[in-house]
Amino acid sequence: MREITLSQAVNEALAEEMRRDETVFIIGEDVAEAGTPFKVLSGLVEEFGTGRVVDTPISEPGFMGLAVGAAMTGSRPVVDLMFGDFIFLIMDQLCNQAAKTHYMSGGKLSVPLVLRTNMGATRRSAAQHSQSLHALVAHIPGLKVAMPSSAYEAKGLMKTAIRDNNPVVIFEDKLMYQDKAPVPEEEFLIPFGEANIKRAGTDITLIGTSSMVQVCEKAAEILAAEGVSAEVIDPRTIVPLDEAALLASARKTSRVIVVDEGHQSFGVTAEIASRINEKAFYHLDAPVLRMGALDVPIPFSPALEDITVPTPEGVAEKARLLVRGEMIDAA
Amino acid sequence: MPLDVIMPALGMAQETGQIVAWHKQPGDAVAKGDVLFEVETDKSTVEVEAQADGFLTDVSANKGMDVPVGQVIAKISDSAESAPQEGAKDGAAAATDALPEGKQVIMPTLGMAQDTGLLVKWHKAAGDPVATDDILFEVETDKSTVEVNAGADGFLAALLAGEGEEVPVGMTIAIISAEAPANPVTRKTSAAPVASKTAQPDTDAPPTVKQARPQAKPVPAKDRRILASPKLRRLAREQQLDLARLVEAGYPQPFHVKDLELLKSLPSGAASGTGTAQTASCLTAEISTEGFTAFSVWACETADLPDPSAILAGFCAASMGKDVNVAVETPGEVKTYAACTRLRATEATDAAPQIRLRDLRFTAITTVQVGAEEVPTLTLTRLGEGLSITFEFAKGHLNAKDAISLLSNFAGRMEQPLRHLL
Amino acid sequence: MAKKKTNSEDYLRMYRQMVRIRTFEDNANQLYLSAKMPGLTHMYSGEEAVAVGICEALETRDKITSTHRGHGHCVAKGAEFKEMFCELLGKEEGYCRGKGGSMHIADQSNGNLGANAIVGGSMGIATGAAFTSKLLRKDDVAVCFFGDGATAQGLMYEVMNMAALWKLPVIYACENNGYSEYTKTEEIAAGSITARAEAFGIEAHQVDGQDVLAVNALTTDLVARARKGEGPFFMELMTYRYHGHHVGDINREYYRSKEEEKDWKDNRDPIIRFRGYLVSEGLATDEDLDALNAEIEADAEAAVKYALDAKYPDVSEVDMHVFADIKHALA
Repeated sequence: MREITLSQAVNEALAEEMRRDETVFIIGEDVAEAGTPFKVLSGLVEEFGTGRVVDTPISEPGFMGLAVGAAMTGSRPVVDLMFGDFIFLIMDQLCNQAAKTHYMSGGKLSVPLVLRTNMGATRRSAAQHSQSLHALVAHIPGLKVAMPSSAYEAKGLMKTAIRDNNPVVIFEDKLMYQDKAPVPEEEFLIPFGEANIKRAGTDITLIGTSSMVQVCEKAAEILAAEGVSAEVIDPRTIVPLDEAALLASARKTSRVIVVDEGHQSFGVTAEIASRINEKAFYHLDAPVLRMGALDVPIPFSPALEDITVPTPEGVAEKARLLVRGEMIDAA
Repeated sequence: MPLDVIMPALGMAQETGQIVAWHKQPGDAVAKGDVLFEVETDKSTVEVEAQADGFLTDVSANKGMDVPVGQVIAKISDSAESAPQEGAKDGAAAATDALPEGKQVIMPTLGMAQDTGLLVKWHKAAGDPVATDDILFEVETDKSTVEVNAGADGFLAALLAGEGEEVPVGMTIAIISAEAPANPVTRKTSAAPVASKTAQPDTDAPPTVKQARPQAKPVPAKDRRILASPKLRRLAREQQLDLARLVEAGYPQPFHVKDLELLKSLPSGAASGTGTAQTASCLTAEISTEGFTAFSVWACETADLPDPSAILAGFCAASMGKDVNVAVETPGEVKTYAACTRLRATEATDAAPQIRLRDLRFTAITTVQVGAEEVPTLTLTRLGEGLSITFEFAKGHLNAKDAISLLSNFAGRMEQPLRHLL
Repeated sequence: MAKKKTNSEDYLRMYRQMVRIRTFEDNANQLYLSAKMPGLTHMYSGEEAVAVGICEALETRDKITSTHRGHGHCVAKGAEFKEMFCELLGKEEGYCRGKGGSMHIADQSNGNLGANAIVGGSMGIATGAAFTSKLLRKDDVAVCFFGDGATAQGLMYEVMNMAALWKLPVIYACENNGYSEYTKTEEIAAGSITARAEAFGIEAHQVDGQDVLAVNALTTDLVARARKGEGPFFMELMTYRYHGHHVGDINREYYRSKEEEKDWKDNRDPIIRFRGYLVSEGLATDEDLDALNAEIEADAEAAVKYALDAKYPDVSEVDMHVFADIKHALA
C-alpha cells in the first residue's frame, strides 16, 4: 500500500469531501494561499477557490461563531484553528453555542461543524503553542472529539467528522504532520467510537491517544524483548469512547496504563482509568496507572520540555512494575 | 368567578413578601390597575395592582404579615360578599409556637432510679451568653443537689422550665442557640410541654443492664487487611482459597494473580478457612462526646473518689454486671482493682486481673489492633471531642452477645458518667 | 409569497403582532408573579415596534437570531402562543421541548435560530447564516437582534469586520433601550453606536424604535438591498423596556426614575401611537381594534391554560438531543 504523510492525508480527506458536498467549506487564518503554517491545506484553494477556502482576519471567536451560524443554516464548515492553544479564545462559541444548540432547541437545530486543530509538545514552541487541550472539549456534552494517531486515522476520521451532524473537534499532533503511514487509495471512512487494537498482548494493556499510540507501541517493543506481552489500543475518538473494547482488554490482561499527552490531572487518562476501575475492578491485578503531560506549563528549553511528556522508556518502566506485581506508591 | 389575589414573586430570590399596607378594605370596589396593597421585598416597597374589576373579599393576610410567594391572600369577587368556600388559611399562624433553634438542654438522669429532677435554680437568665463549662442550673435528685454545666457555647435562647418545678428526666428544659436570640423565650413546663426527643427513664431496669445510648454504636473493627489485587481476591474466593495462608507462610505482600499457584500449593493448615478472625475478635465503639474527664474531676472534688483509674475499673465492673478484677493500664503504670458495681467499694488488689482496661486517652495513639491477649482488653483512645473504645478478646473469653453488651454499657457510661453515680 | 406593504391588511397585521407580543408578556409576567413559571424572564414590553417592524419586512426563509429578551422576536417571526407558553413552563410541547425555556425560546421552523443567553453570543451565528446564504447562492437575509449592552462585546467587531469584507447579507439590529442591564447606556458605550459600524464601512441608520412604520420602511429597504449583495447594514433602534432588566428587577430607582418610565409609557408607547394612526387614517375603528385585542387576550388565556395543564417531558428525554445522531447519549 502507498504511504503518505498525515498532512497529505488530511488534505486528501478535505478535498474528497469538498468535491462530494458543495456545502463543505474551510475557514480560518491563512488557510488559502498560505495553506496554513504547516502547509496541510496547500493546493485546496486552487481547486475550490477563495469562496470555499476562506482566509479570515485574526479573529478566532469571530470565525468560529460565523461557522456555527453557517452550520445551523445548511453549510458544513471545517474551521481551521491554527494552534490548539487558541481554543481558549473560542470557548463561548464552541461550548456555549455549538455544543448546546441541538439540545437547547429540543433537537430542531443542529450544528454539523468540524473544528480542526492541533496539539502536542516538544516543538520548542513554549507554553502558548504546545498544549494538548482535548480534555477540555471532551468535558462538554454535545461535542465529539477525535484524535488521529496516524495518517490513516487522520484521513478516515476527518471524512467521518465532515459527514457527522454534530460539532466534532479533531486534534492532530503537530509533530506528526510529516509522519508517513500506509493509506489506501480507495475511499474509506473510520467510524467514531471504534477503538483499534494496534498490537495484541496478554500481560498488560497500554491505552494511548494520538502520538502516544506510537509511544505505547515503542514501549511494547521494549517489553517484548523482556518477555512481557503488551496490548496496545488506540481509542481513536475519546467522545464517543469505545468503552467496551477498553474494558475487554483490561479484563484480558488485568493491568492497564493509560497514556495521553494532555496534562495528567483531571484529564483523559483519569477518565479512562476511572471507567476501567468502576467496570472491571474484579479483573484488575494492579492499579490502573495514568501517564500524561506533567502538570506544568510547557517550558521552552529542550532540556525541560522533553521531560514533560511520556516516553516509551517511561511507559515500559511503569509496565514492569505492574507486571512484576510491585507495590505501587502507598498501596 | 372570583379571581385570586396572590402574593407575587417580585425579587430575584424571594420566598416571602411582607404586606406593608392594604390600600383597599374588604368589600371595597376595585378597578383593574388600582393599587391593592404594598409589599416589601428586596429592600424596596412595591405597589401591587388589581388584575381585574370587582370587590375585594376574603382578605386573609393582614398588614405586617410575611406571606409565602404564590399564596392567595384575597379575592376579587363579583360582589362585596365573601366567596363561599375555600376559607383561606392564616399563613403565619403555624409559626407562633415555634421555638428558637439550637442545642437542647435536657433534664439529666442523675440517680439510678430517677423519674424527675427538681429544678432548684437557674444560674443564667434567658438571653444570657453561656459557655460550655458555665454552670447552667442546679438539680436536686433523691440524694443530692448537682450543678449542671451548659455543655455548649452560645446564648440561652429559651428557658422552658421554672425554678421549683419537678421536671421529668429527658425533657428539654432550655435551648442554647449559636446566635444571640432576638426574643428569648421563658416559660414553665406546665405552660407548654415540649415533647422529649430523648429516651424516657427506665426505672425498672437493674442498673447494670441499662441500654447503651444510640450514639455509642458498637461496630466490628476491620480485620487486618491482606494486601491483594482485586483479581486475585476474586479468584481466591471462587476457588475457596484463603489468602491468609500466604501471610502465615511468610510470603511478602501485596499478593497478585501470580501468587495464585503458590497459594494452591500451600498445605491447608489448621488456620485455613477462617483466617485471622479465629484468634482474635474485636469490637469498636465510638462516642462523640466524652463525659468522663469532667466527671472524674467532679467525683474527686465532690464525692471523694480521688482515683480516676478506680472509677474506670468500677465502670468496667458495672458494665459487666458483676464484681471483677480489673487491671487499669496507663502509660507507665498498671494497677489492678477488685472492682465492684458500686464505685465506692472498688479497691486495689493483688489478684490476677480478669479484664484489662488500657487507658490511652492521653497519648498520641489513635487506633489499636493488638489482637487477643490473655484477658479481654478494653482500650480507650481519643477521637476528636470524643472517644474510641476498642474491645479485643479471644473466642474463649466470652461470646459475642456478652461482648457487645459489655462494650455498649461501658461506652454509655463513658459518655454520660452521671448515670453511674451512686 | 410577497406581502403588499401598503394595504390596511398589512398594517392591521403589524398592530395585531404588537398586541400579541404585549399580551404574551403580560401573561408571562403574571405566570412569574404567581410563582407558576420556573426560572425568570426578561420582558420585551415597550419594544414591540422593533421586532414587528423588522420581522414584517422578512420572509419566513430569512433568518433571525434573538436574545435573552427574545419573546417579542419569537412572536414577530411567526410563533404560536401555545408552544411558546409550553416552553416557558418547561412542557414537552414547547418549541424546544422544554429544554430551552424563556432564554432560548424560538420557533425554528420560521427561521428563528434561537434566543441566546450569552449577551452578544449570537452575532457570529447571524453572520454565519448570511455566509451560508452567500456560499449556497441563496438570497436569504439574516437579522441579528442584540441590545446596546452587547455592543461592548468584542465578537461584534470581529464579525462586522468579516461581514463587511465579504459583503454578507446580514443586518445588525441594535435595540437601544437605554440600559445595559442596570446601567445607563452612556455609562457603558463611549462615542456613537452607529459610528462603530461605520468604522467598518457598514451603512448605519438610527431610527425611532417606537414607530413601527418607520422601522418597517427602513428594514424593507435594507433587506431588499441586502438580497442584492449590498449588505451588511446596521440599525440602531431607539426604544425602551417597560419592565426591569428581568422580572425580579423591581427596585429600579437607582438607575432610572419612575417619571422616565411613565413618560415613555404615556407618550411614546408603540401600540398606542400606531392605534391612533390606524383610527385617524380610517384604517380601523376603535371597536375593530378592541375586538382584536379581546380576541388576542382570549387566545393567550386559552394558551396559558393549555400550557399549565400540559405534560412535562418524560424523564427519558434528559439525554436525548445531546447529539443529532444518537438517540440517548447516556444509553
